[in-house]
Amino acid sequence: MSKSNMLGFGLGLRSEYYQQILEQRPAVDWFEIISENYMVGGGKALYFLDAIKEQYPLVMHGVSLSIGGPHEIDADYLRQLKNLADRVQPRWVADHLCWSRGSAHQLHDLLPLPFTQESLLHVASRVRLVQDILQRPLVLENVSAYVQWKTSCMSESQFLAELSSLTGCEILLDVNNVYVSSRNQGFDPWQFIMELPRERIRQIHLAGHSDYGHYLIDTHDQPIAGPVWALYGEALNYLGATATLIERDDHFPPFDELLAELSKARSISAKVLGAAAPCV
Amino acid sequence: MRLSAQQEALERYLATGDSAIPPGLLEQIQGSNTLPATDGLMIYHNAYRARLLGVMREDFPALHRWMGDESFEQLALAYISAWPPRHFSLRWLGEKLPEFIRGYVAEPQRSPMLELATLEWTFTLAFDAPDAVPLSLDVMGGFSADDWVSLRACLIPSVCWLQLQHNTVDMWKSAKAEIGIPDAVVLSAPMNCLVWRHKLVCQYRTLEPSEASALRLLTDGGSFASMCEYLLSTHGEQSPLQAAIWLKSWISDGLLVRTCRIGTSDTIFLN
Repeated sequence: MSKSNMLGFGLGLRSEYYQQILEQRPAVDWFEIISENYMVGGGKALYFLDAIKEQYPLVMHGVSLSIGGPHEIDADYLRQLKNLADRVQPRWVADHLCWSRGSAHQLHDLLPLPFTQESLLHVASRVRLVQDILQRPLVLENVSAYVQWKTSCMSESQFLAELSSLTGCEILLDVNNVYVSSRNQGFDPWQFIMELPRERIRQIHLAGHSDYGHYLIDTHDQPIAGPVWALYGEALNYLGATATLIERDDHFPPFDELLAELSKARSISAKVLGAAAPCV
Repeated sequence: MRLSAQQEALERYLATGDSAIPPGLLEQIQGSNTLPATDGLMIYHNAYRARLLGVMREDFPALHRWMGDESFEQLALAYISAWPPRHFSLRWLGEKLPEFIRGYVAEPQRSPMLELATLEWTFTLAFDAPDAVPLSLDVMGGFSADDWVSLRACLIPSVCWLQLQHNTVDMWKSAKAEIGIPDAVVLSAPMNCLVWRHKLVCQYRTLEPSEASALRLLTDGGSFASMCEYLLSTHGEQSPLQAAIWLKSWISDGLLVRTCRIGTSDTIFLN
């Protein structure tokens, strides 16, 4: 994968910060949008999207593709996703390795798949379909999980590596999700990362979680935790310069606090990679 | 168990209100020392409801405030059970709530609840309805005599026109201001209320019956002259002045889009 697409350090675009972004032009290399928030007829979201895309590179990140679901891929959803991609001209289009819709209900959660050969073939065929329509590789993210399926015969990272090999899809490594799942399920987060094909990793996510003592919940409403920062540094040491994005979805702090977290990510990257390998 | 059967088992567990985990599902799930399978499944089960309830509270804040936490949650859970989410975006979750209230709630609560839920849903619709370029006073300032004769207009796409039988607007305003909500009362005559989006912000206004009739006439394809003629019976020789005052007000509010007759079809000027 070409590093020419290395975007540097970005933030999730949220409506709470629209005005500030346009007025202050903060030193953020790129923004990531939640695709579904912009699949609307008009209004504020599309107005700010159009204005901000004139100033910053954008990436699309969806939550409703349900790439592993038991249903047929939603043709209307795909059509709207393609239309949005045509409008936004994003650097890439991402979603999650999960299922979020059942046969009768939208479940609006990122539910874990059993990591089996059956799932692999099922997901691979759907990834190919989506990529054919979008005319670009799909980028898929590992999710935070609170259970595993007993039938799994490989890890999530091995599954992602196989899927990428079969379909050409790329990988969004969410370091917080790795940490959350590793604490909940008792696996080694470093081994998880080492099992991923580093040449296929397009992007990294960082976010905060809530610690309930013996388990963690991926809430995106807290500052990034110390162990996640540490794992991020280790991941960069393995991956090299990689586009990094910080997500915040609730308990929105002053924008400067997110900028400070972004500066921390830059510092860690510079320290790990050295000044000779800048991430911009 | 095959993938589809595993997913169906988890879907059924999440989407039903019963938190008891079916044994057939539990035996498929691997927990850990720190997070047993039952606790892990409960996290998903609770998150499903919490997420949907959160959206309902956000989309119907006045109804929530009027009913109180407990009654609203009871209504929302019953609604979610009857109308589980089917759209990929949670933005559409509350679409059928007014319809659900019609069949679920008994009078005398039914009618005012239905109206309040409908009013709140129209704000959701207006918020992200398709854009349009409304007719502006600047444009009208350059109108020729022929432009005035041929002027036809329709409402911009975000407009929802409600006819309310109750003091629903006052209830909604009080809830929004976080002050005491008045009791629901039936109005002596139905109230026309418009909800729309202008310059990215949702707006509302009520219309007196004569203004509502004039706006209806114009947006049903009538000309400015026909509106003046219609007002003759109520406003006499002041009818052109009254028509002009209202037209200016509607245009200032960004309510109208000019339609232009080309051949036999009308074209709406949209972004």
